[in-house]
Amino acid sequence: MASAAERIGAIVEAAERAAESVIDDAEAQARQYLDESRAEADREAAERRSAQAELIASLLAEAEALREQAGQMVESLRRAEEELAGKPGSGDGSEARTETARASHLSAVADPEEERGGSLAGARLLATQMAVSGSSREEIALRLKTGFEIDDPAAILDAILGPED
Amino acid sequence: MTEAGLAATQALEERYLMRTYKRAPVDFVRGEGSLLWDADGKEYLDFLTGISVCSLGHCHPAVLAAVREQAGQLMHVSNLFYTEPMARLAQRLADSSLGGRVFFANSGTEANECAIKIARKHAHRRGVSEPEIISFEGDFHGRSYGSLSATPGLAGNEALGPMLPGFRSVPRNDVAALREAVGERTAAVLIEPIQGEAGIHPTTDEAILAARQACDEAGALLILDEIQTGVGRTGSLWAYEQTPVRPDVITSAKALGGGMPIGACIAGPAAADVLEPGDHGSTFAGGPVATAAALAVIDVVDDPALLRGVRERGEELRRALAELEGVREVRGRGLMIGVGLEDGIEAATVGADLLERGLVVNVPNPETVRLLPPLVVDGSQIERAVGLIGESLLVFSAA
Repeated sequence: MASAAERIGAIVEAAERAAESVIDDAEAQARQYLDESRAEADREAAERRSAQAELIASLLAEAEALREQAGQMVESLRRAEEELAGKPGSGDGSEARTETARASHLSAVADPEEERGGSLAGARLLATQMAVSGSSREEIALRLKTGFEIDDPAAILDAILGPED
Repeated sequence: MTEAGLAATQALEERYLMRTYKRAPVDFVRGEGSLLWDADGKEYLDFLTGISVCSLGHCHPAVLAAVREQAGQLMHVSNLFYTEPMARLAQRLADSSLGGRVFFANSGTEANECAIKIARKHAHRRGVSEPEIISFEGDFHGRSYGSLSATPGLAGNEALGPMLPGFRSVPRNDVAALREAVGERTAAVLIEPIQGEAGIHPTTDEAILAARQACDEAGALLILDEIQTGVGRTGSLWAYEQTPVRPDVITSAKALGGGMPIGACIAGPAAADVLEPGDHGSTFAGGPVATAAALAVIDVVDDPALLRGVRERGEELRRALAELEGVREVRGRGLMIGVGLEDGIEAATVGADLLERGLVVNVPNPETVRLLPPLVVDGSQIERAVGLIGESLLVFSAA
Protein backbone atom coordinates (compact mmCIF):
# COMPACT_ATOMS: atom_id res chain seq x y z
CA MET A 1 0.00 0.00 0.00
CA ALA A 2 1.42 3.31 -1.08
CA SER A 3 2.33 5.74 1.58
CA ALA A 4 0.75 9.19 1.74
CA ALA A 5 4.00 10.64 0.47
CA GLU A 6 3.96 8.40 -2.59
CA ARG A 7 0.33 9.35 -3.31
CA ILE A 8 1.13 12.99 -3.07
CA GLY A 9 4.10 12.48 -5.38
CA ALA A 10 1.86 10.73 -7.92
CA ILE A 11 -0.67 13.55 -7.74
CA VAL A 12 2.02 16.18 -8.21
CA GLU A 13 3.44 14.23 -11.15
CA ALA A 14 0.00 13.96 -12.75
CA ALA A 15 -0.59 17.66 -12.17
CA GLU A 16 2.76 18.50 -13.74
CA ARG A 17 1.94 16.32 -16.76
CA ALA A 18 -1.44 18.04 -17.06
CA ALA A 19 0.20 21.45 -16.81
CA GLU A 20 2.76 20.55 -19.46
CA SER A 21 -0.07 19.39 -21.69
CA VAL A 22 -1.91 22.69 -21.15
CA ILE A 23 1.28 24.61 -21.92
CA ASP A 24 1.87 22.52 -25.03
CA ASP A 25 -1.70 23.21 -26.17
CA ALA A 26 -1.34 26.91 -25.44
CA GLU A 27 1.94 27.05 -27.33
CA ALA A 28 0.40 25.25 -30.26
CA GLN A 29 -2.57 27.63 -30.26
CA ALA A 30 -0.24 30.63 -29.99
CA ARG A 31 1.85 29.36 -32.91
CA GLN A 32 -1.29 28.78 -34.94
CA TYR A 33 -2.56 32.26 -34.05
CA LEU A 34 0.78 33.82 -34.97
CA ASP A 35 0.87 31.94 -38.26
CA GLU A 36 -2.66 33.08 -39.08
CA SER A 37 -1.86 36.66 -38.06
CA ARG A 38 1.28 36.66 -40.19
CA ALA A 39 -0.67 35.31 -43.13
CA GLU A 40 -3.36 37.97 -42.62
CA ALA A 41 -0.76 40.75 -42.30
CA ASP A 42 0.98 39.50 -45.45
CA ARG A 43 -2.34 39.49 -47.28
CA GLU A 44 -3.14 43.04 -46.12
CA ALA A 45 0.38 44.27 -46.97
CA ALA A 46 0.07 42.76 -50.43
CA GLU A 47 -3.30 44.45 -50.90
CA ARG A 48 -1.86 47.78 -49.72
CA ARG A 49 1.14 47.41 -52.03
CA SER A 50 -1.18 46.66 -54.88
CA ALA A 51 -3.40 49.69 -54.07
CA GLN A 52 -0.34 51.91 -53.71
CA ALA A 53 1.04 50.68 -57.00
CA GLU A 54 -2.28 51.48 -58.65
CA LEU A 55 -2.37 54.94 -57.05
CA ILE A 56 1.22 55.67 -58.07
CA ALA A 57 0.49 54.55 -61.62
CA SER A 58 -2.59 56.76 -61.72
CA LEU A 59 -0.71 59.77 -60.28
CA LEU A 60 2.12 59.21 -62.73
CA ALA A 61 -0.36 59.18 -65.60
CA GLU A 62 -1.93 62.41 -64.30
CA ALA A 63 1.49 64.03 -63.86
CA GLU A 64 2.45 62.98 -67.36
CA ALA A 65 -0.75 64.49 -68.74
CA LEU A 66 -0.12 67.70 -66.77
CA ARG A 67 3.46 67.84 -68.05
CA GLU A 68 2.20 67.45 -71.60
CA GLN A 69 -0.43 70.14 -71.04
CA ALA A 70 2.12 72.48 -69.45
CA GLY A 71 4.43 71.88 -72.41
CA GLN A 72 1.63 72.84 -74.78
CA MET A 73 0.89 75.95 -72.72
CA VAL A 74 4.54 77.01 -72.65
CA GLU A 75 4.82 76.46 -76.38
CA SER A 76 1.63 78.43 -76.97
CA LEU A 77 2.85 81.26 -74.70
CA ARG A 78 6.18 81.39 -76.56
CA ARG A 79 4.41 81.51 -79.91
CA ALA A 80 2.07 84.23 -78.70
CA GLU A 81 4.91 86.30 -77.26
CA GLU A 82 6.94 85.96 -80.44
CA GLU A 83 4.01 86.89 -82.61
CA LEU A 84 3.19 89.85 -80.36
CA ALA A 85 6.79 91.02 -80.58
CA GLY A 86 6.55 90.59 -84.35
CA LYS A 87 9.73 88.59 -84.72
CA PRO A 88 9.49 84.81 -84.62
CA GLY A 89 12.18 82.87 -82.83
CA SER A 90 13.74 85.78 -80.95
CA GLY A 91 14.84 85.84 -77.34
CA ASP A 92 14.12 88.76 -75.01
CA GLY A 93 14.16 91.25 -77.89
CA SER A 94 14.11 94.51 -75.98
CA GLU A 95 17.11 95.87 -77.93
CA ALA A 96 15.59 94.87 -81.23
CA ARG A 97 12.33 96.54 -80.22
CA THR A 98 14.19 99.73 -79.38
CA GLU A 99 16.03 99.68 -82.68
CA THR A 100 12.75 99.21 -84.50
CA ALA A 101 11.36 102.20 -82.69
CA ARG A 102 14.37 104.38 -83.49
CA ALA A 103 14.52 103.34 -87.11
CA SER A 104 10.98 104.13 -87.98
CA HIS A 105 8.41 106.67 -86.96
CA LEU A 106 5.41 104.87 -85.63
CA SER A 107 2.38 105.01 -87.81
CA ALA A 108 -0.86 106.03 -86.20
CA VAL A 109 -2.75 103.26 -87.95
CA ALA A 110 -1.33 99.77 -87.74
CA ASP A 111 -1.00 97.49 -90.76
CA PRO A 112 -4.30 95.53 -90.92
CA GLU A 113 -2.52 92.22 -91.65
CA GLU A 114 -0.17 92.79 -88.74
CA GLU A 115 -3.11 93.77 -86.59
CA ARG A 116 -4.93 90.52 -87.41
CA GLY A 117 -1.82 88.49 -86.58
CA GLY A 118 -1.31 90.38 -83.34
CA SER A 119 -4.93 89.92 -82.46
CA LEU A 120 -4.76 86.16 -82.98
CA ALA A 121 -1.60 85.97 -80.92
CA GLY A 122 -3.32 88.05 -78.27
CA ALA A 123 -6.29 85.69 -78.27
CA ARG A 124 -3.94 82.75 -77.83
CA LEU A 125 -2.10 84.47 -74.99
CA LEU A 126 -5.40 85.38 -73.33
CA ALA A 127 -6.56 81.76 -73.56
CA THR A 128 -3.27 80.43 -72.26
CA GLN A 129 -3.14 82.83 -69.32
CA MET A 130 -6.74 82.08 -68.42
CA ALA A 131 -6.06 78.33 -68.60
CA VAL A 132 -2.99 78.66 -66.40
CA SER A 133 -4.93 80.74 -63.89
CA GLY A 134 -7.63 78.08 -63.62
CA SER A 135 -10.44 79.25 -65.91
CA SER A 136 -12.61 76.56 -67.44
CA ARG A 137 -12.84 75.78 -71.16
CA GLU A 138 -16.29 77.41 -71.23
CA GLU A 139 -15.06 80.60 -69.54
CA ILE A 140 -12.16 80.93 -71.96
CA ALA A 141 -14.39 80.22 -74.96
CA LEU A 142 -16.79 82.95 -73.84
CA ARG A 143 -13.99 85.53 -73.52
CA LEU A 144 -12.60 84.61 -76.93
CA LYS A 145 -16.05 85.06 -78.43
CA THR A 146 -16.81 88.36 -76.73
CA GLY A 147 -13.35 89.92 -76.74
CA PHE A 148 -12.07 88.73 -80.11
CA GLU A 149 -15.24 87.82 -81.99
CA ILE A 150 -13.92 84.29 -82.52
CA ASP A 151 -17.08 82.28 -83.17
CA ASP A 152 -15.41 78.89 -83.03
CA PRO A 153 -12.54 78.98 -80.52
CA ALA A 154 -12.18 75.16 -80.52
CA ALA A 155 -8.86 75.19 -82.39
CA ILE A 156 -7.25 77.60 -79.91
CA LEU A 157 -8.72 75.74 -76.95
CA ASP A 158 -7.63 72.35 -78.29
CA ALA A 159 -4.09 73.63 -78.81
CA ILE A 160 -3.88 74.81 -75.23
CA LEU A 161 -6.03 72.43 -73.23
CA GLY A 162 -5.92 69.39 -75.51
CA PRO A 163 -8.92 68.05 -77.42
CA GLU A 164 -12.22 67.92 -75.61
CA ASP A 165 -13.21 64.40 -74.44
CA MET B 1 -10.79 101.97 -25.99
CA THR B 2 -13.60 104.44 -25.32
CA GLU B 3 -16.90 104.16 -27.13
CA ALA B 4 -17.59 107.84 -27.75
CA GLY B 5 -20.48 107.37 -30.15
CA LEU B 6 -20.97 108.91 -33.56
CA ALA B 7 -21.69 112.49 -32.47
CA ALA B 8 -18.60 112.72 -30.26
CA THR B 9 -16.38 111.19 -32.97
CA GLN B 10 -17.78 113.59 -35.54
CA ALA B 11 -16.98 116.51 -33.23
CA LEU B 12 -13.38 115.36 -32.83
CA GLU B 13 -13.06 114.83 -36.59
CA GLU B 14 -14.48 118.27 -37.29
CA ARG B 15 -12.04 119.91 -34.91
CA TYR B 16 -8.83 117.98 -35.51
CA LEU B 17 -8.77 116.29 -38.92
CA MET B 18 -7.98 118.01 -42.19
CA ARG B 19 -11.11 118.29 -44.26
CA THR B 20 -10.05 115.99 -47.08
CA TYR B 21 -12.95 113.51 -46.84
CA LYS B 22 -16.71 113.62 -46.92
CA ARG B 23 -17.44 110.75 -44.60
CA ALA B 24 -20.70 108.83 -44.36
CA PRO B 25 -22.39 109.26 -40.97
CA VAL B 26 -21.46 105.88 -39.52
CA ASP B 27 -18.96 105.01 -36.82
CA PHE B 28 -17.91 101.40 -37.40
CA VAL B 29 -16.53 99.60 -34.40
CA ARG B 30 -16.37 95.91 -35.38
CA GLY B 31 -16.17 93.65 -38.40
CA GLU B 32 -16.31 89.92 -39.05
CA GLY B 33 -16.41 88.26 -42.46
CA SER B 34 -18.84 90.14 -44.70
CA LEU B 35 -20.42 92.02 -41.79
CA LEU B 36 -19.79 95.29 -39.96
CA TRP B 37 -21.34 96.76 -36.83
CA ASP B 38 -21.59 100.42 -35.87
CA ALA B 39 -21.29 101.99 -32.42
CA ASP B 40 -25.03 101.52 -31.86
CA GLY B 41 -24.82 97.80 -32.61
CA LYS B 42 -26.51 98.02 -36.02
CA GLU B 43 -25.37 95.32 -38.47
CA TYR B 44 -24.30 96.09 -42.04
CA LEU B 45 -23.51 93.86 -45.00
CA ASP B 46 -20.24 95.17 -46.40
CA PHE B 47 -20.12 95.24 -50.20
CA LEU B 48 -17.22 97.71 -50.29
CA THR B 49 -14.64 96.00 -47.99
CA GLY B 50 -12.79 99.25 -47.32
CA ILE B 51 -12.42 99.81 -51.10
CA SER B 52 -11.35 96.23 -51.78
CA VAL B 53 -8.83 96.12 -48.93
CA CYS B 54 -10.51 93.55 -46.68
CA SER B 55 -11.10 91.24 -49.62
CA LEU B 56 -11.12 88.14 -47.44
CA GLY B 57 -13.71 89.73 -45.20
CA HIS B 58 -13.08 91.52 -41.93
CA CYS B 59 -10.63 89.99 -39.46
CA HIS B 60 -9.99 86.84 -41.51
CA PRO B 61 -8.64 84.24 -39.05
CA ALA B 62 -5.54 83.44 -41.14
CA VAL B 63 -4.58 87.11 -41.51
CA LEU B 64 -5.35 87.81 -37.88
CA ALA B 65 -3.17 84.89 -36.73
CA ALA B 66 -0.29 85.97 -38.97
CA VAL B 67 -0.44 89.57 -37.72
CA ARG B 68 -0.70 88.54 -34.07
CA GLU B 69 2.17 86.07 -34.31
CA GLN B 70 4.48 88.42 -36.19
CA ALA B 71 3.62 91.46 -34.04
CA GLY B 72 4.59 89.41 -31.00
CA GLN B 73 7.97 88.55 -32.50
CA LEU B 74 9.25 91.54 -34.47
CA MET B 75 7.47 94.59 -35.84
CA HIS B 76 10.11 96.70 -37.56
CA VAL B 77 13.82 96.90 -38.22
CA SER B 78 13.91 98.92 -41.51
CA ASN B 79 15.24 97.90 -44.90
CA LEU B 80 18.82 98.08 -43.69
CA PHE B 81 18.47 94.44 -42.61
CA TYR B 82 17.05 91.17 -43.84
CA THR B 83 13.64 89.95 -42.70
CA GLU B 84 12.26 86.60 -43.82
CA PRO B 85 8.56 87.46 -44.36
CA MET B 86 9.52 90.18 -46.87
CA ALA B 87 11.79 87.86 -48.85
CA ARG B 88 9.21 85.08 -48.85
CA LEU B 89 6.45 87.43 -49.97
CA ALA B 90 8.61 88.76 -52.80
CA GLN B 91 9.16 85.18 -53.94
CA ARG B 92 5.41 84.43 -53.84
CA LEU B 93 4.51 87.60 -55.76
CA ALA B 94 7.19 87.22 -58.43
CA ASP B 95 6.56 83.49 -58.90
CA SER B 96 2.82 84.02 -59.19
CA SER B 97 3.10 86.77 -61.79
CA LEU B 98 5.89 88.12 -63.97
CA GLY B 99 8.96 86.50 -62.47
CA GLY B 100 11.55 89.22 -61.99
CA ARG B 101 11.74 91.26 -58.81
CA VAL B 102 9.59 93.13 -56.30
CA PHE B 103 9.86 96.50 -54.58
CA PHE B 104 7.68 96.92 -51.50
CA ALA B 105 5.84 100.13 -50.65
CA ASN B 106 3.22 101.14 -48.10
CA SER B 107 0.37 101.91 -50.47
CA GLY B 108 -0.82 101.80 -54.06
CA THR B 109 0.28 105.30 -54.94
CA GLU B 110 3.78 104.50 -53.70
CA ALA B 111 3.83 101.28 -55.72
CA ASN B 112 3.03 103.39 -58.78
CA GLU B 113 5.77 105.89 -57.88
CA CYS B 114 8.21 102.99 -58.09
CA ALA B 115 6.79 101.93 -61.46
CA ILE B 116 7.09 105.49 -62.76
CA LYS B 117 10.73 105.66 -61.66
CA ILE B 118 11.44 102.34 -63.38
CA ALA B 119 9.81 103.58 -66.59
CA ARG B 120 11.72 106.86 -66.63
CA LYS B 121 15.08 105.26 -65.90
CA HIS B 122 14.42 102.52 -68.46
CA ALA B 123 13.71 105.25 -71.04
CA HIS B 124 16.82 107.25 -70.11
CA ARG B 125 18.88 104.10 -70.68
CA ARG B 126 17.70 103.96 -74.27
CA GLY B 127 18.61 107.61 -74.79
CA VAL B 128 15.28 109.33 -74.14
CA SER B 129 15.96 112.64 -72.42
CA GLU B 130 12.36 113.69 -71.75
CA PRO B 131 10.43 110.51 -71.17
CA GLU B 132 6.67 110.49 -71.25
CA ILE B 133 4.10 108.24 -69.59
CA ILE B 134 0.73 107.74 -71.20
CA SER B 135 -2.50 106.84 -69.43
CA PHE B 136 -6.17 106.59 -70.30
CA GLU B 137 -8.63 109.28 -69.28
CA GLY B 138 -10.49 107.92 -66.27
CA ASP B 139 -7.46 106.10 -64.91
CA PHE B 140 -6.73 106.53 -61.22
CA HIS B 141 -3.16 105.85 -60.13
CA GLY B 142 -2.90 107.67 -56.80
CA ARG B 143 -2.45 110.98 -55.04
CA SER B 144 1.28 111.46 -54.56
CA TYR B 145 2.70 113.76 -57.23
CA GLY B 146 3.96 111.19 -59.73
CA SER B 147 0.82 109.07 -59.53
CA LEU B 148 -1.34 112.18 -59.42
CA SER B 149 0.29 113.49 -62.59
CA ALA B 150 -0.63 110.15 -64.21
CA THR B 151 -4.25 110.52 -63.06
CA PRO B 152 -5.90 112.71 -65.69
CA GLY B 153 -9.07 113.40 -63.72
CA LEU B 154 -7.15 114.91 -60.81
CA ALA B 155 -4.04 116.29 -62.50
CA GLY B 156 -6.07 119.23 -63.78
CA ASN B 157 -6.48 120.65 -60.27
CA GLU B 158 -4.49 123.84 -60.76
CA ALA B 159 -4.58 124.66 -57.06
CA LEU B 160 -2.24 121.73 -56.56
CA GLY B 161 -0.09 122.49 -59.59
CA PRO B 162 2.23 122.31 -61.22
CA MET B 163 2.07 118.59 -61.88
CA LEU B 164 5.17 116.66 -62.91
CA PRO B 165 6.09 117.02 -66.57
CA GLY B 166 6.07 114.01 -68.87
CA PHE B 167 2.53 112.72 -68.49
CA ARG B 168 -0.29 112.72 -71.01
CA SER B 169 -3.57 110.93 -71.50
CA VAL B 170 -5.78 109.70 -74.32
CA PRO B 171 -9.48 108.84 -74.26
CA ARG B 172 -10.31 105.50 -72.64
CA ASN B 173 -10.09 102.56 -75.02
CA ASP B 174 -9.31 104.84 -77.99
CA VAL B 175 -6.89 102.62 -79.90
CA ALA B 176 -6.09 105.12 -82.65
CA ALA B 177 -5.35 107.88 -80.13
CA LEU B 178 -3.16 105.54 -78.13
CA ARG B 179 -1.16 104.49 -81.19
CA GLU B 180 -0.82 108.14 -82.18
CA ALA B 181 0.40 109.09 -78.70
CA VAL B 182 3.01 106.35 -78.25
CA GLY B 183 6.32 107.27 -79.83
CA GLU B 184 10.04 107.45 -79.29
CA ARG B 185 9.66 109.53 -76.13
CA THR B 186 7.28 107.08 -74.53
CA ALA B 187 8.67 105.54 -71.38
CA ALA B 188 5.55 103.59 -70.52
CA VAL B 189 1.87 103.13 -70.98
CA LEU B 190 0.43 103.03 -67.47
CA ILE B 191 -3.18 101.87 -67.37
CA GLU B 192 -5.68 99.97 -65.24
CA PRO B 193 -7.01 96.66 -66.62
CA ILE B 194 -10.36 97.78 -65.21
CA GLN B 195 -10.78 101.40 -64.22
CA GLY B 196 -11.98 101.32 -60.62
CA GLU B 197 -12.43 104.87 -59.37
CA ALA B 198 -13.95 105.91 -62.69
CA GLY B 199 -16.85 103.55 -62.04
CA ILE B 200 -15.65 100.06 -63.08
CA HIS B 201 -14.89 100.34 -66.78
CA PRO B 202 -12.94 97.37 -68.20
CA THR B 203 -10.20 98.27 -70.65
CA THR B 204 -11.10 96.49 -73.88
CA ASP B 205 -9.03 93.58 -75.17
CA GLU B 206 -8.37 95.60 -78.31
CA ALA B 207 -7.05 98.61 -76.38
CA ILE B 208 -4.86 96.63 -74.04
CA LEU B 209 -3.44 94.64 -76.94
CA ALA B 210 -2.78 97.86 -78.85
CA ALA B 211 -0.97 99.22 -75.80
CA ARG B 212 1.24 96.13 -75.66
CA GLN B 213 2.04 96.32 -79.37
CA ALA B 214 2.74 100.06 -79.26
CA CYS B 215 5.03 99.65 -76.26
CA ASP B 216 6.90 96.83 -77.99
CA GLU B 217 7.41 98.95 -81.08
CA ALA B 218 8.57 101.96 -79.09
CA GLY B 219 10.75 100.05 -76.62
CA ALA B 220 8.51 101.31 -73.82
CA LEU B 221 7.16 99.42 -70.83
CA LEU B 222 3.57 98.34 -70.36
CA ILE B 223 2.63 98.92 -66.72
CA LEU B 224 -0.67 97.61 -65.43
CA ASP B 225 -2.00 99.20 -62.27
CA GLU B 226 -3.52 96.19 -60.46
CA ILE B 227 -4.01 98.00 -57.19
CA GLN B 228 -7.76 97.42 -57.22
CA THR B 229 -7.99 94.53 -59.68
CA GLY B 230 -5.23 92.34 -58.26
CA VAL B 231 -5.16 89.66 -55.56
CA GLY B 232 -8.20 87.75 -56.77
CA ARG B 233 -10.71 90.57 -57.17
CA THR B 234 -11.57 89.71 -60.79
CA GLY B 235 -11.49 85.91 -60.38
CA SER B 236 -7.83 85.32 -61.20
CA LEU B 237 -4.94 86.17 -58.91
CA TRP B 238 -4.01 89.02 -61.29
CA ALA B 239 -6.43 90.67 -63.69
CA TYR B 240 -3.90 90.64 -66.53
CA GLU B 241 -4.30 86.86 -66.60
CA GLN B 242 -7.69 87.51 -68.18
CA THR B 243 -6.28 89.86 -70.81
CA PRO B 244 -4.42 89.19 -74.06
CA VAL B 245 -1.15 90.67 -72.80
CA ARG B 246 1.68 90.06 -70.41
CA PRO B 247 2.75 93.39 -68.91
CA ASP B 248 6.33 94.39 -68.03
CA VAL B 249 5.37 95.73 -64.62
CA ILE B 250 2.33 95.43 -62.35
CA THR B 251 1.55 97.32 -59.17
CA SER B 252 -0.45 95.96 -56.26
CA ALA B 253 -1.79 97.18 -52.91
CA LYS B 254 -5.28 97.31 -51.33
CA ALA B 255 -6.23 93.62 -50.86
CA LEU B 256 -2.61 92.52 -50.66
CA GLY B 257 -2.33 93.21 -46.93
CA GLY B 258 -5.83 92.04 -45.96
CA GLY B 259 -6.22 95.29 -43.99
CA MET B 260 -2.55 96.02 -43.31
CA PRO B 261 -1.00 98.83 -45.39
CA ILE B 262 1.29 97.45 -48.08
CA GLY B 263 2.01 98.04 -51.76
CA ALA B 264 4.20 96.21 -54.23
CA CYS B 265 5.71 96.98 -57.60
CA ILE B 266 6.43 93.72 -59.45
CA ALA B 267 8.71 94.01 -62.47
CA GLY B 268 9.23 91.25 -65.03
CA PRO B 269 12.69 90.36 -66.34
CA ALA B 270 12.82 93.31 -68.76
CA ALA B 271 12.50 95.84 -65.94
CA ALA B 272 13.55 93.96 -62.83
CA ASP B 273 17.11 95.30 -62.69
CA VAL B 274 16.48 98.90 -63.72
CA LEU B 275 16.51 100.34 -60.19
CA GLU B 276 19.81 100.18 -58.35
CA PRO B 277 20.94 101.02 -54.80
CA GLY B 278 20.08 104.63 -54.04
CA ASP B 279 17.38 104.94 -56.69
CA HIS B 280 14.46 104.25 -54.39
CA GLY B 281 13.62 103.30 -50.83
CA SER B 282 11.22 103.42 -47.90
CA THR B 283 11.59 103.24 -44.15
CA PHE B 284 8.46 101.27 -43.38
CA ALA B 285 7.91 99.32 -46.58
CA GLY B 286 8.10 95.54 -46.53
CA GLY B 287 7.94 95.45 -42.73
CA PRO B 288 7.54 92.05 -41.06
CA VAL B 289 3.94 92.51 -39.90
CA ALA B 290 2.55 93.79 -43.20
CA THR B 291 4.41 91.17 -45.23
CA ALA B 292 3.38 88.36 -42.86
CA ALA B 293 -0.23 89.47 -43.31
CA ALA B 294 0.20 89.58 -47.10
CA LEU B 295 1.68 86.08 -47.12
CA ALA B 296 -1.41 84.86 -45.28
CA VAL B 297 -3.63 86.67 -47.79
CA ILE B 298 -1.86 85.16 -50.80
CA ASP B 299 -1.99 81.71 -49.18
CA VAL B 300 -5.78 81.98 -48.98
CA VAL B 301 -6.45 83.73 -52.29
CA ASP B 302 -4.12 81.77 -54.54
CA ASP B 303 -6.52 78.84 -54.50
CA PRO B 304 -8.28 77.72 -57.70
CA ALA B 305 -11.46 76.89 -55.80
CA LEU B 306 -11.67 80.34 -54.20
CA LEU B 307 -10.94 82.09 -57.50
CA ARG B 308 -13.53 79.96 -59.30
CA GLY B 309 -15.99 80.97 -56.56
CA VAL B 310 -15.19 84.65 -57.23
CA ARG B 311 -15.99 84.20 -60.92
CA GLU B 312 -19.18 82.25 -60.22
CA ARG B 313 -20.46 84.60 -57.47
CA GLY B 314 -19.61 87.58 -59.69
CA GLU B 315 -21.59 86.13 -62.58
CA GLU B 316 -24.50 85.39 -60.25
CA LEU B 317 -24.43 88.93 -58.84
CA ARG B 318 -24.15 90.64 -62.24
CA ARG B 319 -27.04 88.58 -63.65
CA ALA B 320 -29.29 89.39 -60.70
CA LEU B 321 -28.41 93.11 -60.74
CA ALA B 322 -29.08 93.39 -64.47
CA GLU B 323 -32.69 92.34 -63.90
CA LEU B 324 -33.43 95.08 -61.37
CA GLU B 325 -35.60 98.02 -62.25
CA GLY B 326 -33.55 101.21 -62.58
CA VAL B 327 -30.36 99.45 -63.69
CA ARG B 328 -29.08 100.56 -67.10
CA GLU B 329 -26.01 98.33 -67.27
CA VAL B 330 -23.74 96.18 -65.12
CA ARG B 331 -20.00 96.34 -65.76
CA GLY B 332 -16.98 94.54 -64.42
CA ARG B 333 -15.37 91.18 -63.93
CA GLY B 334 -15.38 88.77 -61.00
CA LEU B 335 -16.47 90.62 -57.87
CA MET B 336 -15.50 94.08 -59.14
CA ILE B 337 -18.83 95.46 -60.27
CA GLY B 338 -20.18 98.81 -61.41
CA VAL B 339 -23.93 99.24 -61.55
CA GLY B 340 -24.86 101.96 -64.06
CA LEU B 341 -28.20 103.51 -63.08
CA GLU B 342 -30.86 104.81 -65.41
CA ASP B 343 -31.08 108.54 -66.08
CA GLY B 344 -32.79 110.44 -63.31
CA ILE B 345 -31.62 108.17 -60.50
CA GLU B 346 -28.88 109.75 -58.41
CA ALA B 347 -26.35 107.14 -57.36
CA ALA B 348 -25.38 109.20 -54.27
CA THR B 349 -28.97 109.12 -53.02
CA VAL B 350 -29.17 105.37 -53.62
CA GLY B 351 -25.84 104.84 -51.85
CA ALA B 352 -26.99 106.80 -48.79
CA ASP B 353 -30.31 104.93 -48.74
CA LEU B 354 -28.53 101.58 -48.95
CA LEU B 355 -26.35 102.53 -45.98
CA GLU B 356 -29.54 103.27 -44.04
CA ARG B 357 -30.84 99.86 -45.06
CA GLY B 358 -27.64 98.20 -43.86
CA LEU B 359 -25.69 97.68 -47.08
CA VAL B 360 -22.31 99.38 -47.52
CA VAL B 361 -21.53 100.34 -51.14
CA ASN B 362 -19.64 103.16 -52.85
CA VAL B 363 -20.61 105.78 -55.40
CA PRO B 364 -17.63 106.70 -57.58
CA ASN B 365 -19.62 108.94 -59.93
CA PRO B 366 -23.17 110.37 -60.13
CA GLU B 367 -24.59 107.45 -62.10
CA THR B 368 -22.73 104.42 -60.74
CA VAL B 369 -22.91 102.27 -57.64
CA ARG B 370 -19.69 100.34 -57.10
CA LEU B 371 -19.72 96.92 -55.45
CA LEU B 372 -16.55 95.29 -54.10
CA PRO B 373 -17.87 92.53 -51.84
CA PRO B 374 -15.59 90.13 -49.99
CA LEU B 375 -14.19 87.33 -52.15
CA VAL B 376 -15.70 84.92 -49.62
CA VAL B 377 -19.23 86.33 -49.91
CA ASP B 378 -21.87 83.59 -49.97
CA GLY B 379 -25.02 83.10 -52.03
CA SER B 380 -27.41 84.20 -49.27
CA GLN B 381 -25.47 87.43 -48.74
CA ILE B 382 -25.60 88.15 -52.47
CA GLU B 383 -29.33 87.52 -52.42
CA ARG B 384 -29.72 89.88 -49.45
CA ALA B 385 -27.66 92.63 -51.13
CA VAL B 386 -29.55 92.34 -54.42
CA GLY B 387 -32.82 92.48 -52.49
CA LEU B 388 -31.78 95.68 -50.70
CA ILE B 389 -30.53 97.31 -53.91
CA GLY B 390 -33.76 96.31 -55.67
CA GLU B 391 -35.90 97.81 -52.88
CA SER B 392 -33.92 101.03 -52.93
CA LEU B 393 -34.01 101.37 -56.71
CA LEU B 394 -37.77 100.78 -56.70
CA VAL B 395 -38.17 103.81 -54.44
CA PHE B 396 -35.97 106.07 -56.53
CA SER B 397 -37.13 104.77 -59.92
CA ALA B 398 -40.66 105.67 -58.96
CA ALA B 399 -39.67 109.09 -57.59
